[in-house]
This record gives sequence, C-alpha cells and structure tokens, in this order.
Amino acid sequence: MAEFSESPKDRPSEISELPDESQNSVSDFDPCTMRKTKPGLKRLFLTLTVLFSFFLGSPFLLKSIEIYRSPLPFRDIDSLSDSVGSSPLLFPCHFQAIFVGFDNFDAYDLGISIKHEMKKLTKHPVCGTCSDSNYTLSVTVDSGSGCARNYNAESTFMWRCGAIGEFDLGGGGDDDGVDEFLGSVLGSCEGFRKVYSVVVVNRGGEVRAVVGKYRHAWIVGGVLEEGMNAVVARVAETFVKVFVNGGKEEGSIHGEFMPVGADGRIVLSFNLLNADPTDWIYGWDFQRIDEILLAPVIKALGPVANISVESQVLYHTPKSSFSYWDEKWDSYIFSTKDLPFFVNSNEWHLDTSIAAGGRSKILQFVVYIPSAKECPLLLQLPNGEISVTNAFISPMWGGVAVWNPPGCLRDSESKHPARHTISPQDLQEVFEIFMGQLRQLFGLKSDSLYVGASGTTNLLASERGFTEWELDVLSRQHTCFNLVSCATTLGSLSRLVQSLPRMIIMDEIGKQVKFSLEAAKLTRSNASLGIYDASAVSSRQARSLAEDAFFHPSIMSVSYYSFEHCFAVYSPFFLPVSMHVLLAAFREWRRYKQETAKYLAWKEKAKVAAS
Amino acid sequence: MAAVLRFLIAVLLFSSIATASLSQEEEEFSEELLLKPLADRKVLAHFHFESKAPPTRTYGHHHRLFPKALYQLVQKFRIREMELSFTQGRWNYERWGGFDPISSSNAKPPGVELWAVFDVPHDLVDASWKNLTHTLSGLFCASINFLESSTAYSAPDWGFQPFSGSLRYGSLPREAVCTENLTPWLKLLPCRDKAGLATLMDRPSIYRGFYHSQRLRLSSTEFGSTEVESGIALDQTLTVVLQPTTSHRASMTYSSDSVLQPSWSLSSIFGRKVSGRCVLANSSNVYVQVERGLMSELKILHAEDEGSGADNLTFEKTWNNPGFELSIAPNRVIKEVNILHDETSIVLYEYLIDNYSNSEPFDLGFTWKFPVVWSSPQAPLHASRFLMGSGNERGAIAISLKATEPSDGLWFADTIENSCMLRFNVFQVVPWYVRVYFHTLQVFVDGKPQSVTDFIERMRISPSEDKVSPGVMEMALKLPCCVKSVTLTLEFDKGFLHIDEYPPDANQGFDIPSAVISFPDFHASMHFLKDDSLNKSPLLSKFQERSPVLCYTEVLLVPLTTPDFSMPYNVITITCTVFALYFGSLLNVLRRRVGEEERFLKSKDSKKTGRLGQLLSKLFAKLRGKSWEPTQTQSASSSLISSKLIFKVILVAGIAAGWQYYSG
Repeated sequence: MAEFSESPKDRPSEISELPDESQNSVSDFDPCTMRKTKPGLKRLFLTLTVLFSFFLGSPFLLKSIEIYRSPLPFRDIDSLSDSVGSSPLLFPCHFQAIFVGFDNFDAYDLGISIKHEMKKLTKHPVCGTCSDSNYTLSVTVDSGSGCARNYNAESTFMWRCGAIGEFDLGGGGDDDGVDEFLGSVLGSCEGFRKVYSVVVVNRGGEVRAVVGKYRHAWIVGGVLEEGMNAVVARVAETFVKVFVNGGKEEGSIHGEFMPVGADGRIVLSFNLLNADPTDWIYGWDFQRIDEILLAPVIKALGPVANISVESQVLYHTPKSSFSYWDEKWDSYIFSTKDLPFFVNSNEWHLDTSIAAGGRSKILQFVVYIPSAKECPLLLQLPNGEISVTNAFISPMWGGVAVWNPPGCLRDSESKHPARHTISPQDLQEVFEIFMGQLRQLFGLKSDSLYVGASGTTNLLASERGFTEWELDVLSRQHTCFNLVSCATTLGSLSRLVQSLPRMIIMDEIGKQVKFSLEAAKLTRSNASLGIYDASAVSSRQARSLAEDAFFHPSIMSVSYYSFEHCFAVYSPFFLPVSMHVLLAAFREWRRYKQETAKYLAWKEKAKVAAS
Repeated sequence: MAAVLRFLIAVLLFSSIATASLSQEEEEFSEELLLKPLADRKVLAHFHFESKAPPTRTYGHHHRLFPKALYQLVQKFRIREMELSFTQGRWNYERWGGFDPISSSNAKPPGVELWAVFDVPHDLVDASWKNLTHTLSGLFCASINFLESSTAYSAPDWGFQPFSGSLRYGSLPREAVCTENLTPWLKLLPCRDKAGLATLMDRPSIYRGFYHSQRLRLSSTEFGSTEVESGIALDQTLTVVLQPTTSHRASMTYSSDSVLQPSWSLSSIFGRKVSGRCVLANSSNVYVQVERGLMSELKILHAEDEGSGADNLTFEKTWNNPGFELSIAPNRVIKEVNILHDETSIVLYEYLIDNYSNSEPFDLGFTWKFPVVWSSPQAPLHASRFLMGSGNERGAIAISLKATEPSDGLWFADTIENSCMLRFNVFQVVPWYVRVYFHTLQVFVDGKPQSVTDFIERMRISPSEDKVSPGVMEMALKLPCCVKSVTLTLEFDKGFLHIDEYPPDANQGFDIPSAVISFPDFHASMHFLKDDSLNKSPLLSKFQERSPVLCYTEVLLVPLTTPDFSMPYNVITITCTVFALYFGSLLNVLRRRVGEEERFLKSKDSKKTGRLGQLLSKLFAKLRGKSWEPTQTQSASSSLISSKLIFKVILVAGIAAGWQYYSG
C-alpha cells in the first residue's frame, strides 16, 4: 500500500498545477519548473508534527523501559581507590627511649639523632606501618638522681625516674623476669596509647638486646664501647624494624596474603593422616590440645580474626609423590623440589567445613604419618640438609608436618594393627611446629632471633604464640590489607556496573556500598588517631560489606536485560514505523523545497514580465 | 506413694543414662554385607556400614572415625533424624519380597528421597530444612536444593512417620543417580573404598544392576529431647540387585521345564574379591541369607533324596545340600527363631572377613545344583498406582491394592479371629499443578463402589495452594481381611504453569512422587536366639528391630500442556507488525494528494509503458488466459507491474538471499 502512494509523488513537479495552465496568460510559463501559487504547508506540517512527537515521545519510552539501577557513589569509590593507591595507610606511633647510665648526654640531642636514624630506615613507607611525620619520640636520660627529657616528652608516657635501680637488669639470664618487671614499670604509665619503649642500660660487659612480650625492649651491657652512634642506630633499628615492621625479613610472605576470610573468620582444620592404616593406626588426644594449646592463641588473635578449630582423622591417604632411600641418613628422603607433589588432593579429603560460613578462610594443618614402606620419612632442604622441623607451609593453604612413628616398628605381622595414640610430648612438638607455621602464614618470624644490621636481638616468645607488639603489627597490617582489598573490590564493582549499563542493581547493593565506604572512612580516621583495634574492626567491616555487595545474588544471576533483548522486543514496531515517519517527513520537505523554488521562479519571471 | 514411684522412675532413668553413656564411650564402625539369592534368578547385595559417635557432652567435638562433615551437619541443623536415599530402578515387591526388613527399610522410591526431623522450635523447622537441602546438595553432588522451594516438600503429620510438627518430607523422582553421588557417600567411610567390603563396589558392576539404592540415615540424641543419650548413629547402606551372568552350564535344562538358577560368586557379580577387612572396623562380616520359601523347597528336596529319616537340624546346618553349595565353609550358621514356623526358617551363613588377607582373598561362590522355584514373602497388599483419563485437561489417580496370597497366614497373627481387620496408611504428596479434588475420592472394594466413611478411619488433607505448597493426603484405612482388592480414585484438573516455571524438558511430562503405603500392624523383623555374639552385628540387630512394613508405589508421569516457548516473542512480533502497517498506511493516507495522482496517472497513460512492463503484462495476460492488449487502459494493473516495484521486490529478495547466505 505504501508503494502505491509513493510512486506518483516521485515526480510531483511534472504534473503540478495543471489546471492553472489553461488560465495562464504568460506564454513562457513552464509547468515543470514554475508554479503560480504558494506551496501548501498542511502536509509538511503534519508529517513534521508526527516526526517531532516521535522525538518527544522517545524519552518517555526510554523512561518506561528503564531498568532500576541504584545510584552508586562512583566518585567516592574512585577517590577511595585513588587515595589507597597513592598514599599507603600509616599510623601514628609513640616511642620512648630510656637511657640509664648515660649521665653526660643530652636528651634533646639523643632525640634528634635517633629521629635522624629512624628517618633513614623508613625511606619507603609501607602500608600498615608508621609514618615518619606523625610519630612522637620521647627520650629520657635517667641518671639515678634525676631525669632529663627532651622537650616533646609528653606527660602521658612518663618514665618513673630511678625505677630501674630497683631491679638488677640483665644480670643473670632471667629474661622473663626482666620482662615482667619492665612490663609492670612501663605498663603503669602507658595509658590508652601504645608506647613502644627501649631501655638502654650502660653497665659494662657483653651487649645483649632482648625484645619482650609486651611493648618494650632492653639493651644491656657495655654499649658505650661501640660508640654512641651504634647505640642510637640500634635503638632506631629496634623501633623501626622490630616494633613497626614486625621483625620481618624482606622477601618473606607479604602482608597482602593475610589468611583471613572475607567475613573476618578463619577455620583452623587439623588433620591427622594415616597413610596406610594396615601398618599402624595412630590417634591423638585433640581435645586436650584444643583446650591447652590452641585456646589461648585463638583468644590472643581475637582482634585480628574470629578463629574456630576443627579436627579429623583420615586413613588410606598416601602422598602423591615418591621418596627415595638414602643410606647416609638411614631413612627415606623427600626433597624440597618435589614438595608441590606432596599434597595428594585426590586422596586427602581435607574438605571445606560445613560449620564455617561461605567466605571464611580455611587453613589446613596436616600431620602426615608415613606408611611402613617409607618410614622414617625426612624432608630435605635444597642445600642437602635435613629439615629440622620436618614440615613445610603453603601460603594461604596451611602447613604439613611429617611425624614418624617411634622406631618405625610395625606391630608384628598380624592383620590387625593395634591402635596407638601419639604421645603428649610428640604431639606438643608437632603443635609447636604448627604454631610456627601459623606465625609464618601471618607473615611473622617463626624463630626467636632477629638479625639486624647493628646486631642480633633476642625475641621472647609468648606462651600465647603472639606477643603484644606482634599483635599490634598484625592488626595494623590487617587494617591496611582490608582497606586495600575493600578498595579493589569496590573498584571492580564500579567497573563492572559501568560496563553493563543494562544490569539491574538493587537498592541493597547501593546500601552496602555506602556502608562499606563509610566504614572505610571510619577506618582511616581511627587509623589516623592511632586506635588499632577499632580501625581493624571497622576495616574488616568495610571489606566484608564490599564483598557482600560484589557477590550479591542479584548480580550473580543472569537477570540483566541486555540491549540485544531490548532491541529484539522493540524493533518489530519501531523500525518500520520510524521508516515511514522519516521518509514521509523527508519527502514532504523535499517537495516543499522544490515547489517553493518553482513558485519563486515564476515570481521572478512575473516580475521580469511586469517590468 | 506417687512420690516414691517418681523417685524410683528417676533412679531407673538415671541408671539407664549412666549405663548407656558408660557402655558407648568409644566411636565404633562396622561393615557388613548380606547376599541373598532372589527368586527371579538375581542376587541381592546389601552393604551396611554403621558409624557411631558418643554424645558430645561426654566425648567432645573431635572424632576419630565419625565423619566430620556429618557431625557438623547434625550440630548445625540440630537434626534428630534424617534419611537420604538415592535410588535408580524400582524395587520389585512381587519377586524380591515385600515383607522383610530389607524391603521395608531399603526399598526406596526412584530418585532422591529426603526426610528429616529437627530438634528446633516449630517455626524454625522450615528454615532449617531449606539450609539442610542446600548443604546436602553440595555434600552429595545432587540437585537436592530443588527441595528447598515450599512447593517441593511437605510436613506429614502421622501418615509417614510418627514425628508430628518437626518432620519434613520431600522427594525428587527425576534425579539421576550415578557415581558422583556414590563417591561423596563413600568418603564418609573411614576406609572409603580402599579397603574392606567397600572395595567390592566396582562402579560398572553396581550400576549395571536392576536396582540400586544408596541410603544414609542419621539419628542423634544430641539435643536432649530423649532421655537416653546415645550420641549420633550413622547408617549407610547400599542395596543392589544384580543379574549373575549365566554360564553355559547353567543354561542346560533339567527334566522339567525349570531352568537351573545361575551360579555366582563375588568375583563374577562384582568383578572383584575382598582382600581383607577395613582395619578400623569393629566387625567385618559377610552373610548369605537363604529365604524361608527356598529353605522349605530344599527340605522337600532333601526329604526326597534321603528318604524320611532326614534330620532337620543337621540339614539346616549344612552349606552343601542337594539344592546349592557354598564354596567356603561358613564360620557360623544362624537360624531364625520363629514361633509360627518351627518347621522352616530363614538361615544365615556368616563369614568373618578377619581371616582373609591380600594373599588369600575372600571369594565366596554359590553354586546351584538343582533347579528350585520358590516365592518371597509378600506384604499383605500389593500396591500399584496409575493414571486414568486422557487429554490435557483432567484425569484421575487410582491406587489399586490387591491382597496377596496369604501364603504364611502369619499376618493375621495379631488380630482377633472373628473381626479380622487389616489396617493400612496411605501417604501421598501431589504437586500443586495437579489439582486434586479431594471430594471426588471414591473407594472401590472388590470392584464395587463403597461409601468412603465405611473404610476410612482417619484422614488428614492439606489442599495444595498454587505456587506455594503441594497437596498432602494422609489416610488410615481399615478393611476386613476377606477383601480381595481395594481401589482409591481421585480426580484432578491439570493446572497451568507460568512460562518460566517449566523445567528444561517440559514435553517429557511431570512426575508425581511415589505414594507410601504402610502397614502399622505388621512388623518385618527377624528373631534370633538371644546370644551375645549376635548383638555385636549391627546388621542383625537392625533386622531384629520392629520396623513397620512399608511399600512405595510407582512414580506417575503426567503430561501437561506445554506452551510454545517462543510464543511471547511471536506475539510481540506480529502485534508490532500489524501496528506498524496500520500506522504507516495512516500516515500515507494523510499526506496523499488524490487530485494530483489522478492527473499524473492520466498523463502516464498517454505515454508508453516500459519494455519490461509490457513483457510482464503479456505474461500476466497469458496466465489469465486472455489475449494480450498492447495498450492497457486499466490503471491498476499498470501500476501493479511498474518497473520500479519489480526493482524493489528484486532488491529485497537479493538482500534477503545475501543475509541468509552470510549469516547462515
């Protein structure tokens, strides 16, 4: 039908205004190029009205088929990612150095030189440490009769003058006693702020440096024999490398691999694997271990993560790679390069936990009891030596310890092996290894020596596994890690949302993002105030909310309404109709232009004729 | 007096708790296998694994043998009892028996069946059930999570199990069962299939069988709802019915028409041998069960052979008799004690796997020597269910129950002689899209319609609610013993589903889960002589429990009207096209210049039409059977075949062809 009506008006000019021709008195009137009347505007007006009403209606249509998208604060997310990326999160720290037996030195000068040394050591501030701009350092020189302080020593962390004289520091080797004494002296004046102290006692004899279980260290001995600069360097190193950085070597597991689940939970899953129960069956008294050894550790780690413990005993679980017999060690040797093939994921059904929530982190700790065919089994280090602990860790997964049954003696040739229980001493050793592995998984040192540039420092181990200053380090790093991961998660979410313009976004996601950003903001303000625990808690909240938003079920489902779908639904109507409307408007416009030209031509002619 | 009594009861209770907790302070695991020749030349193999954990209150959270996953499951959802079964194939009640402990507790409906009793307040039961289905579906690699929706499960009151309120029941008849479900199930065993009886589970052999049912049952007393704390008990059973391969020797016929049953051995039916027990198991036994019917046939055979002086006792103790021969001497022969049938009784041959090892594997052979025909004990009624009616609008469900031959007469044992009544319960769940009209319930007794109230003692119905809950029917019926057959019919309308509620293969039809028929007065249990050694075997103590006789009917397949799933888009397209046509033509009419067109046509008539146009009009004229007029006066035909139009048509066809070519 459209075709019929279109064909005649392709050449409308040829036939226009035929009736007028007869009445025309002008002889050179050409009906093909001229007309005498003004062309009508009726049809042009009509088609243009239709066209414009279409244009005006399209916003309404788009509005009606619009998909609900909760407005996300893209700008805030970007600013968070930018600020986290550009400047690492730094905490204010408070240090104090107490010099006993340095009567000739000025506290102010000492303060300046220690600050200078510390500045040298913190060239590149790492996230979760202290910045050199917002720490305070107070220096006290205790001469027995009176104290000299540098000017910025605040009253909150005041050292009681002459307190050290009441106790013989470092005389014997009773580090624990000294530690407790210093803890009682320093702890009383600590207040709510966390102050890291180093007590330097000039007393002659061998120099010993010890870091205690609380937040202090002491250096005792003939420190002046090495010169004052060495003392200052050592104090600065203790502050920066031990108290701030946690005594980590470069290249150890980085803080970004914090083994804490997105919901701030860790499940420690302990597994006892009997490789071949036909040789021997070993059980353990895990209940006791849980109560005596693990409970204090879990309590200590409370601010960092919510930890739960579970255990199981598995049987028929061979390792997946082979060991070889070595005469020299009189045992089976498993070399380090084969370690990736030790864990046999086909047979070791370590499993995730039903009790744990969806996004908890599970750390597997495995005691592997080799079969009689490969007993005793020893792990060999790359340098040819035998591993002391006979254990290894896998970052973010957990640790494995090999435990060889005493004597590797098979109980006769009977078909029914007797049940044994690992003796409490052996089990304690194994769990000490696991404790070290847990410390390593958290990025701390597993041995008790810190070898720095200016000497060796003893680190006292806490019976809770983690000392107070280590927990401070962990909660600072944890805060930093959570904030970074929150920023990256929100950044990915905003990129995803922006790349899919037709995806439904629920209000709930918008709310979670908002709360997550608020928690992140709170973290930063808490961190700047130096409240570690509160900032760790709010950072955990920020991260878990960000993950909740990212893994929201409505994003996961395929409920987004693609452009192709929209096109397929609306094109059967709008494509043909818009063709008609556009063509009609175009033709009418063209015809009007032609006709106007004709009319003008005639007018011109008429004017010429008249004149 | 009352106070004294109460005190006595308290003391008794306390002492029972004390003894129970003292006697079971150790985790236990046992494995057992029961083999039974079936009347239709097949062999039943029933694996039974039992793990027990002492109560948490006294033993703690850490276990040596009990699977961690299930302990956590029980603790998290506070499960009092749970049963999950994966079944392929249908238990043949007529041939494989319907009145023994195995058929009443291990014959399960096809697909997945799950029921659980929770120890939580009533308003939290549904939430627990939903979480449990998701956990189980992850644990067993199955789509049990489809039972989460409230349309898929029901809360039976008394028709299924006597736990009111906290029981939930659901089944998925179409769930396919395969090794991915068996592997996680095996993972719960301490030895998995690395050692012990589970090594027999050669996947191709056990899935080749006629019936395969893998079951897991948990019962716990962790949450203090019962007086006696016995901890958590986990029963895992695998029941398979296998066809022994017939060797050439077996196919030879005997004097009569009867054919010798195929002989079998463990290695011939499973393709593997048992090389020792699982070292963690407290007991590891294999039993061969000989049914009562077979035993009595054999006795007759024996009597024929030996004359009348045969000694019954020695006969039953032998494993090498005229009927069959066992390749290995059993460690013990256990005979059922039956008050009613002192003549013949079930015999179990027991083998202890402790005595076998890798060098000396256990491979039991069962060789038939003489063709024997026997029948298995039957449930009082044989149930079958079918659909009636045709078309996609309405139909009817019929449950037909036929009395079986009262071969033993034993099922009248606990009824009074003159007013012998047979009681049974029917429990049926119907999905909401099968809209059952419960008022149309009709009862036909021996083919004659009868009043419903005469036979139905009790009935509980919860009608279905569209897209919310399924219809549940629980009925308790009472029949006189002389009745031969009963049929229950119910009419229904087929509902319409929303387009996105259809499953992927909607044209296959929709399944109605099996109905459960239970006989509360009949208990399938065996009785053995009180002997301490017998109590050690969990399988035999399971057999001694009084479990009500239960049978499942067939799954029904209801074809529903399925829409053309592209229909919405077709409707959109055609509506839009009609609108576009209307709109376009309206627009053209509005801007048409009628007078101008007429003048144009007039002037065109005077000119000659194009060559192509002439040719085409010639062709048209020929087709119409008229002689062609070189100059046409009719304007309509000339406009129809204008060259421009033809050009357009060709252009469109060309574009279409090109599109087809390049996009296809």
